[in-house]
Amino acid sequence: MTREKKLKVTIDSRELEVRPNTTILQAARESDVYIPSLCTLEHLPSYGACRLCIVEVDGLRGYPTSCTTPIEEGMVIRTDTTELRSLRQEILKLLLSEHPASCLFCEEHDECKEFQGTIRKVGVTTGCRYCPNDARCELQEITEKVGLTETSYPVYYRGFSVEKYDPFYDRDYNLCILCGRCVRVCNSVRLNGTLSFKQRGKLTTIGPAFDRTHLEAGCEFCGACVSVCPTGALSAKVSKWYGKPDTQVTTTCVYCPVGCRLELQVKNNEVIDVLPNYDSPIDRGLICVKGRFAIPEYVLSPERLGTPSRLTPVGYEVISWDQAIDEAAKRLRGTKPEDKLVMVSPQLSNEDLFVAQQFTREVLGSDAVISSMMIDLGDDLVPFLELVTSSSTFDTIEDARGVLAVGFDSTYGYSPVGIRIKKAGREGALLVTLGACDSNLDMLSETAFQMEPPQWAEFLGSLVDYLARGGKGKVKIRKEWTSDIERISRIFSDSSTNILVIGQEAIFSSGRREIFEKARTLRDKLGWKIIVAHPYTNLLGMLAMGAFPGAKPGEFLKNGDAVTVDLPVIDLAKRKKVVYLIGEGRFDTIPDCDYLIYQNGLPPVASRQPDLILPASLFTESSGTTTNGEGRVLKIEKATEPFMDAKPDWWIFNRIAEKLNKGKLKYKDVAAVQAAIKKQVKGFYGGRKPVEFARINAERATKWLRGAPKQEGQSSGAGNNPSYRGIPLARVVAGMKAIDEWVNTSLLSDKEAQ
Amino acid sequence: MPEPIRTILAKHSREPDELIPVLQDVQKEYGYISAESVRGISKYLRISENTIYGVSSFYAQFRFTEPGRHSVKVCLGTACHVRGGATLLEMLERGLGIHCGETTEDKRFGLDRVACLGCCALSPVVQIDKEIYSRVTVNKLTEQLKEYE
Repeated sequence: MTREKKLKVTIDSRELEVRPNTTILQAARESDVYIPSLCTLEHLPSYGACRLCIVEVDGLRGYPTSCTTPIEEGMVIRTDTTELRSLRQEILKLLLSEHPASCLFCEEHDECKEFQGTIRKVGVTTGCRYCPNDARCELQEITEKVGLTETSYPVYYRGFSVEKYDPFYDRDYNLCILCGRCVRVCNSVRLNGTLSFKQRGKLTTIGPAFDRTHLEAGCEFCGACVSVCPTGALSAKVSKWYGKPDTQVTTTCVYCPVGCRLELQVKNNEVIDVLPNYDSPIDRGLICVKGRFAIPEYVLSPERLGTPSRLTPVGYEVISWDQAIDEAAKRLRGTKPEDKLVMVSPQLSNEDLFVAQQFTREVLGSDAVISSMMIDLGDDLVPFLELVTSSSTFDTIEDARGVLAVGFDSTYGYSPVGIRIKKAGREGALLVTLGACDSNLDMLSETAFQMEPPQWAEFLGSLVDYLARGGKGKVKIRKEWTSDIERISRIFSDSSTNILVIGQEAIFSSGRREIFEKARTLRDKLGWKIIVAHPYTNLLGMLAMGAFPGAKPGEFLKNGDAVTVDLPVIDLAKRKKVVYLIGEGRFDTIPDCDYLIYQNGLPPVASRQPDLILPASLFTESSGTTTNGEGRVLKIEKATEPFMDAKPDWWIFNRIAEKLNKGKLKYKDVAAVQAAIKKQVKGFYGGRKPVEFARINAERATKWLRGAPKQEGQSSGAGNNPSYRGIPLARVVAGMKAIDEWVNTSLLSDKEAQ
Repeated sequence: MPEPIRTILAKHSREPDELIPVLQDVQKEYGYISAESVRGISKYLRISENTIYGVSSFYAQFRFTEPGRHSVKVCLGTACHVRGGATLLEMLERGLGIHCGETTEDKRFGLDRVACLGCCALSPVVQIDKEIYSRVTVNKLTEQLKEYE
């Protein structure tokens, strides 16, 4: 890297050395000189709308905006003169002439923050809380810094009704100052284009086309607009009246395998809001609706299980942890290994999964630690795992010249992957989508093929055959596809890097086996990269930790040899004595049993009542790590104390083990579990590089599953219906339910239209 | 996608810069920009429907409602305003049951306001299709409208 030559400039009579190729505003901020601005946003090009960042520069006429003026050698800049100050105050007054300003200009302003002691105000005890943004408002801050204490203009109230009908966030455009940040972030960062300026002049408003609701207009509810709004115009429903959070905790989202880094906003031992982390290299702050809005409502759900309880003929009886552990131990003791089944969720942490498998193997003497993920995939499990363990990193999309997305939609999940694909498409890569209905990538794609899922495999097969023969020889292709396939394969074969993205709809389609095989051919014969966008958060951690039948910890990691997965036959139709569920809430995949132990955060979605309920803490309440879809090991930080008496999963295993068989599991804390993992799984916590997995021998796929419930194409649990620990988010999060209903009705009307 | 839209789009390249020429052609063909047209344009130019709406609502030349068989334009220039143009507009809005800029349900009339028709001496003025009516009163206008089917 060549070192950039620094430029010498003078800002406010200070001689400074600044980076070249920046604007005056950037240079000033980097040198800790404050210039007010309402429209600039990091990561976005300058806009020059609010005019507050004006400065004086020797030799330049007038007052240029510092955010649009490039810095030059020898510039003499003044940022804070009497003239500038009065100009800025005037500009701000004009800006505020359409913004209710009673929180900004008030005789009681200074005392109000401290005491809220006046009787002249509405709500003595609550203070002037008519705006959700009070005390964390950028406009308040700037008014103070610019030194504006009163306004000479009347405030014009635009009189819009507050828009509350969409999920997750409310919009009060009476507070909007039209800075355009939300429009820019929606269009240029999220590449979504839901928000737009409408009309012009004094009639200008912000919103989607034709007075559509945000749901109808294709909003992803990523909340990026809410985060950047400098006023209270956009506010999250759940957290708007909480005010300023006490602390912020950086953690990893466990709702899907992308592994977005999140900033949990904590107040009074509760997670009140979640913000993206723009510095995260994995997701770049491009989190989806689930991470942004679906966490507080889930972890603070009124349905949370708080105390251990046991089923009696007259209902549930609350018992102590000691009694609960005794009860569990009593049931597990003495039963034969084949009569017991342990089911774990792939959304547990690496540490919990490690202890779960150790518990099953060493304490229960069984190898039957399975997951409903395995049952979802049935006999296609091994080819699926083979692709998942060799999945490419998300960054590879950035260099791709061709992307083919099959059954993939990133509207309400997998946004960091979806946006990378859209970006590649916008920057000129060939983007082709294959789906059953409109996807959010279609807008930027070269061609969007629509056909029923059973035809996807055939289409993909034709494309693969065509590409493999380089256009030579005869390839059998359906007539209606011939010209399209010829056209796109020409571009794909000219491109240096191609990526196939397999989405959830493809994973749960009836032709998935063939799609997996075609993907393998593309990867092995034609050098394509593959990304499998599956819903099983810590699937790779599950494999690495050996929470998988027939595989001890570390066996799946790269040691040179290919791994042959030998799955023991599991018969779900056979009645078990005890089934122990950890983080599994779906009962359609579990066999009948005499005794059911249910360890989770929320009650199950089923008619079968568990015999013993053990309340578990959720990912915001315990520490650990999770492995994302690329194989990166990411930290989960504890942000709050567990709900009531809930305990971490590893702690519960420990206690039961202690009762059953003294001395086998003796972990004091998560660090002790991690030390044990370090010993058994070499190089797992190795650092920033993704964990590498051994190649799985996909040719030898055995029929291992018997008596599985019938699945009709789509999975009932994890498919398009996101869940955490087996509980669909739509069940506990109101906004997710609204989205779910909307998706279903629009799918129905699409079908009717056809 | 209806055939005329397809033909219009085929005349343009798939660059975003083509948006305004495309919108102009669509308006010329249909007389207005429908939600369906916006959808077609969005897919072809790879610009979101909302952005297209944003751009086209900025310009006064584009409209989003289907024009009626007859266009009624009420002049609200200074002279016409002084001599009762606003009353005429209000009467029309009430009589036809629509707001300015909209079209009646039977598509018979579309109602608009204009700033000046350039014949202030004849004020107040109303234009129906190509005909200019001068010194209009409410009664005169009610009779006049009956002649248009």
